[in-house]
Amino acid sequence: MPSDKPSKADRIAAANLMEEASEVFDNCISCGMCKSLCPVFKILKEERVSPRGKGIVLSDKVMDKILFECTMCKACEEKCPLNIKVCEAVMKGREAMVLKGRGLKSNEEMIENVRKCGNPFGDKDVKDPEKLYCC
Amino acid sequence: MKLNKNLIKIYESDASRLKGNAKEVVHPRNVAEVRGAVANSARVVVRGAGTGLAGGAVPQNGMDVVLDMSKMDGIHGFDKERNTVEVEAGVILDELQGYLARFGLEFPVNPSSHAVATIGGMIATDAVGSRAIKYGKTSNWVKWVEIVDGYGEVHKKGITELSDYSGMEGITGVIVRACLKLAPRKDRSATLVKVESLEDVVSVVRELKRNSAVSMIEFFDKGISKELELGEGYHLIVEYESPRDDPAGPDGAGALTGKEYEDLIKLRDRVYPFVAGEGYTRIEDPKIMIDRFVKLMTWLEARKIPVFGHVGVGILHPCFNHDQEKLVPEMMALVKRLGGQVSGEHGIGVLKKGFVEINDQKILRNVKKRTDPLNKFNVGKVV
Ligand SMILES: Cc1cc2nc3c(=O)[nH]c(=O)nc-3n(C[C@H](O)[C@H](O)[C@H](O)COP(=O)(O)OP(=O)(O)OC[C@H]3O[C@@H](n4cnc5c(N)ncnc54)[C@H](O)[C@@H]3O)c2cc1C
Ligand code: SF4
Ligand code: SF4
Repeated sequence: MPSDKPSKADRIAAANLMEEASEVFDNCISCGMCKSLCPVFKILKEERVSPRGKGIVLSDKVMDKILFECTMCKACEEKCPLNIKVCEAVMKGREAMVLKGRGLKSNEEMIENVRKCGNPFGDKDVKDPEKLYCC
Repeated sequence: MKLNKNLIKIYESDASRLKGNAKEVVHPRNVAEVRGAVANSARVVVRGAGTGLAGGAVPQNGMDVVLDMSKMDGIHGFDKERNTVEVEAGVILDELQGYLARFGLEFPVNPSSHAVATIGGMIATDAVGSRAIKYGKTSNWVKWVEIVDGYGEVHKKGITELSDYSGMEGITGVIVRACLKLAPRKDRSATLVKVESLEDVVSVVRELKRNSAVSMIEFFDKGISKELELGEGYHLIVEYESPRDDPAGPDGAGALTGKEYEDLIKLRDRVYPFVAGEGYTRIEDPKIMIDRFVKLMTWLEARKIPVFGHVGVGILHPCFNHDQEKLVPEMMALVKRLGGQVSGEHGIGVLKKGFVEINDQKILRNVKKRTDPLNKFNVGKVV
């Protein structure tokens, strides 16, 4: 599903969200402690997906799909000695990307499937299409 | 996978917050991939967890290829007879401790960054830590390292050649594997000691060092003690240890055990981030003899520079804010006049290059020339 061109209002909202996400890292001291429990880092073992990595990208107000490589578990916030709300910032970054039509294709498909079929898999043989169901 | 410019930037800084420029980033999964990456690159910067505080892992001039060692996290070759274990360089200290716990063993060097720091980074910086008073530096616990040289060749280096790689901050080659010596896990407890004056700190530390059960003496100045809500005056965290389940009981145990003990140690681990969060981001690590402690502390206190540190081994951590940073050279000169070392544990990296003595520079340059004739590794760091 190709996203429509974002409206002016969406573009402004996205810019504001990126600004807010960037500000979250104003006090980050780059210590790296936030990656100690990050499940995504634990599996991929690449600094680019670490919470600190996401902080660097967001500080620069860059929209990159690494923002979607996050389980939203907040383990980073738990570990951060300075209480930086990494996960909150990632969420804002994602919102901004969606508003700009840069969300993940797979997510858009999933939403479309839910709308059409009541389930994220696009399965039409559902007994009661009025009811949403998940895995 | 080739990273775009925005993502390469993630690898262009470390906990020192210095910024550099990299050409490319590689995440090798095994020794063969390290060999290939090194052989095909003109300049290489090795990166562990990027918790270094001297800028050692920060690439320079846009020429460096950054080797992020995090994926090389295999733990093999545990030898129960010899109490040794073989690990890849990207193994995180706490993950190793988790693996060893089931055998009743541990790697006893414990920097406060233990939750993320890699064994390769610890060997390369010869990391110290809060238990140095009992266990010394990382290199004391390394049997051999396997390294990749500038031609992409692998070599095993035993005790006699270890100093060409430990504490050399990645300027001599890539540490890919290491054999580590292990110690039995201990029962630990701690006491928080309040001390009224700097002179008293010296006498209390001297007294405590006579007790072989003491494994940690950590110092907090008055300001930090207050901020941490420990109360008025200076404070020492004193940790005691005894063999696990020793029927004779611990020798001079601390008052805090179990959760209370763990909370106190956690507090200690969070001191630097806490002080940095208050704006005192430039942390230094001079090492001095305990009888010079009062002189250095008096100088620092007069300039309102917060200090904590591993006072048991004479390593202090004065933390400077932006306005105070210009005082660093003056402090280093004082440290030298007092017969101390400019870096006790964090290394020279980029930040302390200007403070290395001429004679030490010569020695370091010779080692660099001998081990890295292609001048490929971490160019522009240390010397
Ligand atoms: C909150 C906090 C607390 C800290 N507490 C302590 C402490 O108590 N004691 C202490 O000593 N330090 C401490 N440090 C500093 C830092 O954690 C140590 O220097 C640690 O050993 C660095 O490990 P790393 O894996 O992060 O290495 P990095 O920072 O990635 O690299 C450090 C240096 O080692 C080189 N290097 C890394 N891996 C390799 C390799 N495989 N082969 C060759 N060279 C390599 C790099 O090029 C660089 O020069 C602390 C840092 C922070 C942020
Ligand atoms: S733990 Fe907090 S301060 Fe440290 S790098 Fe992560 S977000 Fe920044
Ligand atoms: S919220 Fe995202 S970045 Fe933070 S620890 Fe969880 S997966 Fe990692």
